[in-house]
Parts: sequence; structure tokens; C-alpha cells
Amino acid sequence: MADTLPLKHSVPVRHALAMYWRALAAQVRSIIEYPADLWVMASAGAVWNLLQFAFLAVLFSTVPDVEGWGFHEMLLLSGLLSIAGGANALLFDGAWSTGQMVIKGDIDYRLTRPAPVVLQVGSSHIGLQSFGELLLGFAMFVYGWIGAGLGPAWIPVGLFAIACAAVIQCGLVTALCAVNFWIKSPMSMFAFLMIDLQGGAMKLPLGVFPAAVRVISLFIVPVAFVNVVPVAVIAGHMSAWWLIGTPVTALFAVVLAAGVYRLGLRAYDSAGH
Amino acid sequence: MAKVDVALATIAFKRKIAYKGTWFFSILFGGFSLLAGLAVWNHLIGDGEMGGYDWDAMKAYLIIGFLTSTLAWAGSDWEMANRILDGLIAIDLTKPVDFQRARAGEFIGGMVASVPSAILGTAAAVLVFRPAPPDSVLAAALTVASILFIFPLAFGINYLAVLTCFVTQRYLGVQWARDSMLAFFSGMMVPLALMPAWLQTVSWSLPFVHFTTTPASIYLGRVDLPAALGLLAAQAAWSVGLWVLARLLWSQLVKKVTVHGG
Repeated sequence: MADTLPLKHSVPVRHALAMYWRALAAQVRSIIEYPADLWVMASAGAVWNLLQFAFLAVLFSTVPDVEGWGFHEMLLLSGLLSIAGGANALLFDGAWSTGQMVIKGDIDYRLTRPAPVVLQVGSSHIGLQSFGELLLGFAMFVYGWIGAGLGPAWIPVGLFAIACAAVIQCGLVTALCAVNFWIKSPMSMFAFLMIDLQGGAMKLPLGVFPAAVRVISLFIVPVAFVNVVPVAVIAGHMSAWWLIGTPVTALFAVVLAAGVYRLGLRAYDSAGH
Repeated sequence: MAKVDVALATIAFKRKIAYKGTWFFSILFGGFSLLAGLAVWNHLIGDGEMGGYDWDAMKAYLIIGFLTSTLAWAGSDWEMANRILDGLIAIDLTKPVDFQRARAGEFIGGMVASVPSAILGTAAAVLVFRPAPPDSVLAAALTVASILFIFPLAFGINYLAVLTCFVTQRYLGVQWARDSMLAFFSGMMVPLALMPAWLQTVSWSLPFVHFTTTPASIYLGRVDLPAALGLLAAQAAWSVGLWVLARLLWSQLVKKVTVHGG
């Protein structure tokens, strides 16, 4: 396919972004057509967060702190992770369909359109659970913020951390979903593995885990910069210098996603060939 | 069990192992969760105990949870969901095979495909981490029986989750909600013994608890023989109850099927 259909290299950024927002707006219109879908999925997203809150509440009814982190600081961790996951589901959920599209040959159709394929795929769906995730994620984050006694001076840093967390999450998930261009599977196993890493290790202080987990989550699959590093800096558990890594990781995640997707499209050979 | 059930289970088994990468990585999910759980609880328990679990008992608890969750999450729920979301269910409805039984056969076949990797992973975890041994030979035998009930229980819960696809356009969010409910109410995230009494009551009134707490409680001898038999009976009752509930919901939800406007 790549031999016969040369990839577009020169689509203007403004055009690409306009296409992205129009596609997302079309998804919003379809959501309005299926209100039951919205409520079921938003509730599903809310359940996940409620159970995270319950887990922390149960844990901290037994122990006073974990590695020096209190209940409210841990809520900040879980809240920011939920916000990042919700942002991914809201803004770039279609990336999860990459594996299915590759197997079925659905990428063909997108290659013929004058817009970046990665944006077309990313905006092809909105994960409705995102509404529940974002709502309760923000609730946990704000509750944790107030409970931890963080002042308004940190608010710009908090907002910056939220924006970077959303970009990192979208970028890393998209890059890992693009692995399905080579490993043919309907499931995005590598992206699920990253979510598993986040669910297992990124809701707790890094000090709890062996050095290997810390190295992997900081420097190899840098998911620690989604929530652990910014919250650790805000809560005073890490030096402020670490915060520089957050926008750097966000930039890295975007470049990685675009790069892996582009390489994947070169390897793409449509269905049945 | 009819011939067609075995045939469908065999096809699902072969389909599952055809995607070798997916099959291999499914064990990594559980493996990483196990390692994360071991790190956290080792940090929290240290040389003491929490909720009646010392470190050796907690290792056994987490390894049993790893085994049961590896089995529970290995079924072909996505294939079931996609049949509804893609409209393939319209073809299924024309076949002279009961939809629920056919999906049960496929789901169990998918679970069986994960048995070798689950057993290998569990054996490796036992050798490396040396958890507490079973309370007795009888407790070990009853634990195996309890784990076998994971097969119908997992199908029941997954099938009910998949049925939501009749009213949703996507399965991913439902899957995450189901997984998080299973992880929390089974006691995998935090043992029930640490929960407040009212939350323990809620957990024991749901089927999820039988995925981790029930087999682990029997294995560690935290329940006596009559209680262990009672828990096995509860697992059997839930297996039947979920099957009947799914039948009732199916009869209502199938009316919503509209394929290409028809």
C-alpha cells in the first residue's frame, strides 16, 4: 500500500487541526443521538474513580501514611491519573482502534484523505467514560488539593501539570497502539500494559517500588511524569527541578506518537496481503 | 455438554492461541500487578501483620489472586462485545444455536487457552516468593474446586458486561468498570479484612468476592470446613444466578437489535 499511495508530508498544521476538531465535533453530535450510551459509559468511568477513592480510604484507615505520603496527597495522585486517562478518552480515544483498523484494512480509507492519518484515527471516537473519569478525577484532585493544604500560589503549576498529563497520556497511548502496525492483533496490548503499569504503580509513591520500576516509569516509559512527578513536586516530596521533565516528556510523547505512527504507515500493507 | 459447545470452545481456544503475542502479553498483565502488589504489601506489612495476614499469608493471597484474575480476564469478552457492536449478532440470531450457550462455549475455550500460562506463572511465583503453604490437604483440594468455579462465574460477569453493548457504542469503558469492580470487591486491591464492616457486607453480597477472597480464605484456613463448603455452594449459586439473570436481560435487550436500519 505504501508503494502505491505515497504518504502526505505537507498538510498544513492549521488544516489538520481544523479537521481534527470537526471530526471530534461530529462525534459529539453522534453522542447526543445516543443518550443511553452516554449515561452508561459516564457511569462506568465514575465507578472506576469511586473505587479508587474507596481503596485509598480503606488503606488509610489502616495506615497513617505510605512512604511519608498522606491520604490527600495520594488523592492528588489518583485524581491526576484519572484526569489524564479521561483526557485521552475524550480527545484521542480512536487511537485504541488502531489494531482493529490495521487488521481490517480500515486504514486504506484514511490514507486517501488529505489529513494526517494519526489525527483521523485519534478523532474517530470519543470514549464516553471520559465524562465520569474527568468529573470524579477533578473532584479527587481538588479534594486532595484542599486537604493537603496547598495554597493558591501552586494553582498555575497544577493547571500546567494537568495539561502536560493529558498530552503525555495521549502521546504514549497512541505510540503504543501504533505498535499494532507490526504486531497484528485486535488488542492494543502494549498500551494496555502501560495502563496496567500506571494502575499498579502510579497511584502510589515511587519509593514503595524497586529501583527497576522507578527507572522504567521515569526514563523508559515515562508515565511517572503524568502524575507522580508533578504531584511529588507540588507536595514537596521532590525537588522543583523535576518539574522541567514534565513538558519535556509531553513534547517527547507527541513526537514519539507522530513518529511511530508514520513508521507504522510505511509498514502497513492493508488487509489480506 | 453438546458437541457444538465443545466445537465452539475448541475454535475459541485455537483463535486465542493464534494471536501468540496477545496470549504472551496477557500473562505479563497479571505478572506486573502481582509484583506491584507484592511490593506494596511488603512495604506495608513488614514483619508485622495486617487484617490477620502476615507476610507469608499475604504472598499466598496475592498469588491466588494472580492465578484467578489471569483466568478471569482471559476469556473472549471482546469477541462477544464486537459481535453485538458490529452487528454480527444478526447472523448469530439466524443460527440454530442458543446465543448464550454458544458464547459460553467460546468464552470457556478462551479461558482454557490461558491455563498453561497461568499455571506456569503461578508456579514461578511460588518458587520465587515462597508463600504460606495450604492449611491442609483438604483445604488445597477445596481451593482447586473454588478456582474451577471461576470459569462459570467469569463467564456470567463478562457476559452481563457485554450485554451493555446493546445500549452503548463502545465496550472499553464498560470493561474498565467491570475490571475495577472485580479488582476491588474481590479483595484483590485491598483484602476484605481491612474494609469497614458495611463494605465487607456489600462485598460479600456480590459475586466478585468469590474470585480472590473465597479461594484464598479456604487455602489459608481462615474458614473452617462447613464455612468452606458454604462458600463453594455460594459460588455455585452465583454461577446459576448469573446465568439466569443474563437470560432475562437478553430477552429484553435483544429487542433493541437494529442492523442497517432493519
